[in-house]
Order: sequence, then structure tokens, then C-alpha cells
Amino acid sequence: MKLKSLAFTLFATCGLLAASAAQADKLDDIIKKGVIRCAVVLDFPPMGSRDSSNTPIGFDVDYCADLAKSLGVKHELVETPFPDRIPALMSGRADVIVGSTSDTMERAKTVGMSVPYFAFEMVVLTRTDAKIGKYEDLKGRPVGGPAGTYEAIALEADLKKWNNPKGKFHGYQSLADSVLALSQGQIDGVVVTSTVASALIKTGKYKNLKIAGKAPYDTDYVSLVAARNEFGMLNYLNLFINRQVRSGRYNELFTKWIGGTDAPALTAAGVYR
Amino acid sequence: MADFDYTFYWRAAFESLPEMLDGAWVTVQIAVLSMGLGTLLAVFLTLGAQSDRWMLRAPATLWVSVARNTPALFQVYMLYFGLGTFGLHLGSWLALVAGITFNNAGYLAETFRGGLKAIPATQLRAARSLGMSAPQAYRLIVLPQLLRVVFYPLTNQFVWAVLMTSLGVVVGLTSDLAGVTQALNVRTFRTFEFFAIAAALYFLLAKFVGVMTRVIAWRLFRY
Amino acid sequence: MFSTSLTWNDVLFLLQGAWTTLLLTFLAMLIGTLLGLACGLGRALWPRLTWPLAALLDVFRSVPLLIQFVLLNSLKSIIALDWSAFTVACIVLGCYVTAYCTEIVRSGVLAVPQTTRRAARSLGMSFSQDVVHIVLPMAARVAFPGWINLTLAVMKDTSLVLWIGIVELLRASQTIVTRLQEPLFVLMLAGLIYYGMSLVVARAGAWTEKRWQEND
Repeated sequence: MKLKSLAFTLFATCGLLAASAAQADKLDDIIKKGVIRCAVVLDFPPMGSRDSSNTPIGFDVDYCADLAKSLGVKHELVETPFPDRIPALMSGRADVIVGSTSDTMERAKTVGMSVPYFAFEMVVLTRTDAKIGKYEDLKGRPVGGPAGTYEAIALEADLKKWNNPKGKFHGYQSLADSVLALSQGQIDGVVVTSTVASALIKTGKYKNLKIAGKAPYDTDYVSLVAARNEFGMLNYLNLFINRQVRSGRYNELFTKWIGGTDAPALTAAGVYR
Repeated sequence: MADFDYTFYWRAAFESLPEMLDGAWVTVQIAVLSMGLGTLLAVFLTLGAQSDRWMLRAPATLWVSVARNTPALFQVYMLYFGLGTFGLHLGSWLALVAGITFNNAGYLAETFRGGLKAIPATQLRAARSLGMSAPQAYRLIVLPQLLRVVFYPLTNQFVWAVLMTSLGVVVGLTSDLAGVTQALNVRTFRTFEFFAIAAALYFLLAKFVGVMTRVIAWRLFRY
Repeated sequence: MFSTSLTWNDVLFLLQGAWTTLLLTFLAMLIGTLLGLACGLGRALWPRLTWPLAALLDVFRSVPLLIQFVLLNSLKSIIALDWSAFTVACIVLGCYVTAYCTEIVRSGVLAVPQTTRRAARSLGMSFSQDVVHIVLPMAARVAFPGWINLTLAVMKDTSLVLWIGIVELLRASQTIVTRLQEPLFVLMLAGLIYYGMSLVVARAGAWTEKRWQEND
């Protein structure tokens, strides 16, 4: 019957189109389009910030440029505050996240994470008049952090463990808001990376902030993030990070943005990857 | 051909429904509080805007003008972060309530002003000439008529207040409906499922307010 | 006495954000008014037939705009559409404006007296001639203040698009506050720009109203 053959042709065409669509993955799309969109965090110096003419600068910004160069495409920066990185990736606003994203197991359920490309140590950032000298002094104080980040979740868990009625956790929608709230006295402490703490104090804009000791968290390894099923993209990113270290570019960027020559090791001892 | 590569996790979303309902209750509380305070302030603003003394008229008109010409989100954000420069720390809940109240008062003052214009001045004069004092005249003659005229805009404003509570999430409020939804979203990244349920809850809240106000209108204006 | 690190570059950055705000407002009002005109006419002339349409539009007025933005943004990525966040914002705002514009147009059309319309028909005008030459001009004058109010409301509601990553005026001011740490000053500047834009639109509306009234 004519209808049957028409239906068959339609389904066959759809099947062929679907098959061809399934073959093209994100890596091919990026190379074909000629531009890669990186989600970067621009309130997190020295990894990402804006200079006096509001141009994005930072380790992550340069890393994204390197990635684009190795792919042979142009790069476009999509600014996202911390809680918006993965939503931006998942809603298609960005192709990859170059935004200091910690490789937690919870996130690995939703997105694909590469091997570590940087590592952070956590410190307590507080005000000079808040009388906090070490991490345990945060017990029973109002604290905060950008919602959904590794250190904010860990701080909130510790707060629950201490179970002090005066201690409260405030989640903010960006790191900038958390630090602003801290400097204005809404909260008494945040846990941030040592790099951003020193960078913020160095700007001289926060005259009343100081670092109050290390936070007892494991080393925070951060990865590049792509969609969970984009294996081509993730394999490429893994090799890219490896090459950045091998070619010395990793050390070069570290010296340029953080200073010194002791760039953190990107492997965990005793395990393969 | 669209690549439908997404598995909906509705089960996880529905399991968080009790938490979201708690958030909805906080939303209602914020809306009612800001509406009540806003209406009260609006009365003062209306009277102030019509007064002969410049000292009362200027701040009243400035308040109404700023409230109606700047975004509500801006007002909440300003109250939360701008005031901090003076050492005034409003928590996010307080900043949201203050912001919505500020906004409500401004809009309602305009509504009341228009409503008062709709009531003929002869009514007030007649009441006074019958021997009523000014407060009595306002309470027994002007206010009931005013209520009828402004009732529909008032209920509109109430629905807006309920919807405006969603702004709290931008200043870090995690106890109202939008705040709870965002906190869940940031943990699990199931944006569509959680926000779809939140949208349905907001819709039900708005409809509920509409029905309640229609019942109240029927009872109040039953002659 | 008063020192600030704000540069002219930053003011330009703010103004670029303001331009995005204005562009979004313009596009949303364009889409929404055209669709709202059609829907409003339908609602006024055939009320019972178009009741489902009213129910659908009511949804856009009963869910917070912030949630609508987030929902459409995540939905479009689930069905793998390659729209930018700006397109999403225009569509959501367009639907929002349509919902309100429908009511405004409907009340404007209903304000035209039935006698006038019957007179037009008895003079030999067809239905469409009646609508185009008699009803719409009169309805426009009645609906105009409400439409200007809607434009002002939409201009302020564009501040919510910062949630889906579009750099409009409020987001631009947040960026500058992060760098300069002068929240009060920068926010007041942004508020002034909002106020200014609002005043310009309101004045333009008042001027148009006065011009129309001269012919009446």
C-alpha cells in the first residue's frame, strides 16, 4: 500500500538523520562552529577576575584561550557565578567549564569531569574584628559561602556536626556576594581557597579582612567539566591537561597568576587517575 | 533531528515536595506581612503626598516615585547590600520583606490616590456638615467607598507580592519556595523538574489568592 | 571629600547593560503587543470561544517571571534547541506581555460603545472596516495609559534576566561592585539610570496622550 511505503520512507529518513546526528558529538560541533564557549568564574581572582577596563583576566581565562588554540577555534567566555556553572553547561550556554570546579562524586552523577588541572588548599577568611583565630572558632558563628561549592557544602556539614544553635550557614549566589556580606558584617567567616584569599587582600579593597588559618579539608582538586556523555570531549580535555603540564605551560601560568614556582602536584599518590 | 538525551528524575523531585511546601508557607507569610505593612504605609504616603507641608510631601512623593520607577529586584538588592555600607545588616529575609513592603507601599499609594479622586469631595463635605468629625467621616463614609474602588487593584498587588517573594533567592534567602527550589537545584542540577514543581505551586498559590479575594469581595460588598 | 575608583569605562559598561535592558524591553513589547492585540480582539469579540486562550495566558501571569526564565532555559536545552539566553528571555517576556496586553486591549475594545459600532455597521461598513477604522482607534486611546504602564513594568522586570546569565544593567552594576567594593555608590548610579529610562518613557507616553487629546 502506498501509505505503508510512504511511512517506511519517512521512518528510514528519520533513522538516517538520527544516526548521523548521533555520530556528530560536541567536539565535532565545536570544531565545525569554530568557537568554544567556556564558562568561567570572574569573581574568583587570580583564577578569574576583571581588570580595570572590565576585561576578563586570570588563570582560567588563559587556560580557556590555550584550549581554544589547541582546537584551532576561537574562544568565547560565558561569565557564571559559582552556583551557575553546571546549570550553564546543562542548559547549553557553555560547552565546557573552565571554572575551578571541584571533582565531587555528587557532580560526577550529572556531568563529566576531567583529570585535575589545578589544586587548592582551603583557608578561613574572616574580619579583623571578628576574633576568629582558627577554623574551630567558627563554631556558633554566622558563616556563609557560594551555594553548592565544595567548601560551602563541607562547612555546612561541619556546622551541623557542631550543632551549635548560634551557628548558621548562609548560601549566596556568588563568591562576590559572600565576601561582600563578610566585609559588611552579615557573616563572620567564609572558607575559601588560599589563592583567592591572598588575591582579595592584595587588592587593598577589603581593609578589614584577614586569613585565620587553614581549614581541615582534603586538597581540593578541580577539573574541566563537560557533558557526561561527551566522551570525545572529555578524552580530549584529559590529554590537553596532560600536555599543559608536560610543555611547562602549567608552571608558566602558575608563576604568572599565583606567583612562585611550587605549582601544586595534580596527582593523588598511590592511585592511577 | 532533536537529540532527546535527558532522563527526567521526577521521583527525586516529588520526594522534596514536603520541603517545598514548607517553603510555600514561608512565601505566604512574607506576602501577607509585606501586604499588611505596605497598605498601612501606603495610607500614610497618600496622606503625606497631599499635605501642605513640604517636609511631609517631599519624602512621600520621593518614596512613591522611586518605588514605581526602579525594579523590585533592585530595591531588594539595594536594601541587602547597599545599606551594609552604613553598617545596617538586614538578613536576606528582612531585606526581602522590606523590599516588597517598600514596593507595595509605593504602588498602593498611587492606587489610593486614584481611588480617593474617584470619591466625590461632596461626600466628605456632607459628612462634615452632618456633624461628623474628620476621623469619623473618613472611617464611616470615605473608607468603605474607597475599599470598593481599590479592591481589585489591591488583590492584584497581593498576587504580585506573592510572586515577588521569588526575588529572595537572589539575595540568598533559602527558606521561601524559590529559595528551597534553588538550594535543591544547586545540589542535584535537576533544574527543570524542581522548578516545574515550584511553578505549579506558585500557580496554585496565585489562584488560591484570587479565589479567596473573590469570596471576601462577595461578603464585603454584598449590597 | 568623596573619592571613587569608578572610571568612565565603568560608566560605559553600565550603559551597555542599560542598552541590553532597553533592547529586551523593545523586543518584548513588540512581540507581546502584536500578539496581545490579536488575542485581546479575540477575547473581546468572541469571549466564550476564546476562554481556553484566557486560561493559558493566565498561567503567564500567575508564575513568577524568574521561574519562567529558568524553566524555559532548562526546557530548551532538554529538547536540544540551540537558542541563546537572549532568545529565551525575549520569548518569556513576549508571552508575559501578551498575557497582560490581552487584558488591556480587551478592556479598551469593550470601552467602545456598542451603539457606535452598530452605527458604523448601519452606515454600510463591513465587520473588518468597523474593527479597523472605528473600534481600534477608540480602543487605543482608552488602552494607552495601561500600555505605557506595562512598558514601564517590563523594563523593570528585565532585571530578572540576570538569572539566566544575560548582562543587563543590574548584572553590570554587580560586576563593577565586585571589582570596586563600593556597593552603595554603584547601585545608586544604576538606580538613577533605571529612574531616568523610566521617566523618559513615562514622559513620552504623556506627550503622546496629550497629542491625541488635541484632536478629540
